[in-house]
Amino acid sequence: MNAELDPASDTHATADTGVPIRFRVYRRKAGDRGGHFDEFTIEVAPDTTVLDALVAIRTRLDPTLVLRHSCFHASCGTCGLRVNDAEVMGCVTKVLELGTSTVKVEPIANEALVSDLATDMVDFYARLAAIGRPLIRDSEWLADSIEPAGIESYNRFESCIECGLCISACPVVATDSRYLGPAALAAAERAVAEPRGLDPNFVLDLADDPQAAWRCHAAFECTEACPSAVDPAGAIMALRRRAASRRLRSLFGWRKP
Amino acid sequence: MSEQSVGRTAPERRADGASTRRRGIVGWGDPRGRRLGGFAFILNRLTGLGVLLYLSFHLVVLSLLARGPSAWDGFVSLAGSPLFLCFDVVLIFGLLFHGLNGIRVTLVGFGLVVDRQRAMLVALMVIGAIVLLIASVHILTVG
Amino acid sequence: MAHSEQPTPDRIGPMWTPSREPSRPTWGWILQAVTGALVLILVTLHMIANHFVVAGGLRDFADVVAYLSNPVVVVLEVLFLVVVTAHGLLGLRAVLFDFGLGPRLEAAITRVLAVLGVAIVAYGLWLTWTITSYH
Repeated sequence: MNAELDPASDTHATADTGVPIRFRVYRRKAGDRGGHFDEFTIEVAPDTTVLDALVAIRTRLDPTLVLRHSCFHASCGTCGLRVNDAEVMGCVTKVLELGTSTVKVEPIANEALVSDLATDMVDFYARLAAIGRPLIRDSEWLADSIEPAGIESYNRFESCIECGLCISACPVVATDSRYLGPAALAAAERAVAEPRGLDPNFVLDLADDPQAAWRCHAAFECTEACPSAVDPAGAIMALRRRAASRRLRSLFGWRKP
Repeated sequence: MSEQSVGRTAPERRADGASTRRRGIVGWGDPRGRRLGGFAFILNRLTGLGVLLYLSFHLVVLSLLARGPSAWDGFVSLAGSPLFLCFDVVLIFGLLFHGLNGIRVTLVGFGLVVDRQRAMLVALMVIGAIVLLIASVHILTVG
Repeated sequence: MAHSEQPTPDRIGPMWTPSREPSRPTWGWILQAVTGALVLILVTLHMIANHFVVAGGLRDFADVVAYLSNPVVVVLEVLFLVVVTAHGLLGLRAVLFDFGLGPRLEAAITRVLAVLGVAIVAYGLWLTWTITSYH
């Protein structure tokens, strides 16, 4: 399908500043044999984001386009996309800053598709559930609990917005569905680093597995793709350090009580 | 929903028929959107397999030694030819890249130097480039 | 509060479970790192000894026999063969395992590569013995 938008009716651009950009958008509905690309040309303003453009396409050109979005400011994690082959959050990626006159938009990789650009995150959440998420720690039951000392140093691991960009970027996830994956492992490291009364050994047992922390090949694509500075690869290596020292300690007969 | 254990059976199609759309090995070969660490991962695999292939040739060629001086010395004169020397340069690149990146993967994999790993990778590649240059000059001139 | 007393999260999909191989699950990775470090040292020694000692950088037959007449050299070269074969075949195994094969195929591959590794080392030992006993 090819369509063009009359710039005068597009609230994202004015006649002076609108730059025509061609969007090649991945389309696939349930029951289709394979995907294809539809092309839409709309005029964008300097601060038009990819998500703005996709919403404009859906409301004005093709109401059958399906995509996920919510907050428009990269904190809900739902608008993750592959734009020009790179994993990004659509809501904070400005179209004109991409530097191309044609912009390719695809859903994130390595997850099943619901429709068009919306992926099914069931598998993603199942892996988080396996490491015990949601974790409810002792202190969270107490109304007057005091923040533990040093909490500011763990803030970045709480930053995970569960967007799935790391899963899309990881070359190991791309070939092996048994790998636990960077998102769940970053969450595991978060739980072990600050247990707050929870027994961390349960999570460490899960992470100390050939298909968990030891499966990573240090490509660090997940850390580069993450929009929230979670550094999943760093978390995976930290888990390995913990697992290795735990093994060493048990080798010498000393077990954590 | 059934208690299907994803970790054990690893199906590529879920119960409802949806494919998990993994990029697969073909995705490894796609350089678009890939960052430095991802290239290091792919190249590590390629150089590893390449050097393994070289090792098999090398072991086969060494069997000439069992057939005595004339067989082996004949090969040695061939080994000084320009084409051979060019293959040697490629081999040295493969060994250097795989070995130096391997240092990074080993250190990082045990949880060391993780926060500076990208800088370490760049530094190791620079060292490798210098050594490769010196080695290539030596191989192609002295032979 | 122990984990078992935690409220169970609502299951929204199939759970990921660990693969839990019965014996030491990460031996492959650790062995790869250890053999890798050894290969780094031994390949450097091997290169120097074979290309920087003899004039012209290539040993002819007489040079090879003289080289292998030193028992320290024999030990180091055999050690080199063992670790480089181990590292190479472990690496091949890792690449094959990335393709998501089932546990039975993976066990079979491990067995086949182990046998291949032993065969290669045996060949190396035979070759060394043949060269050093040449008249």
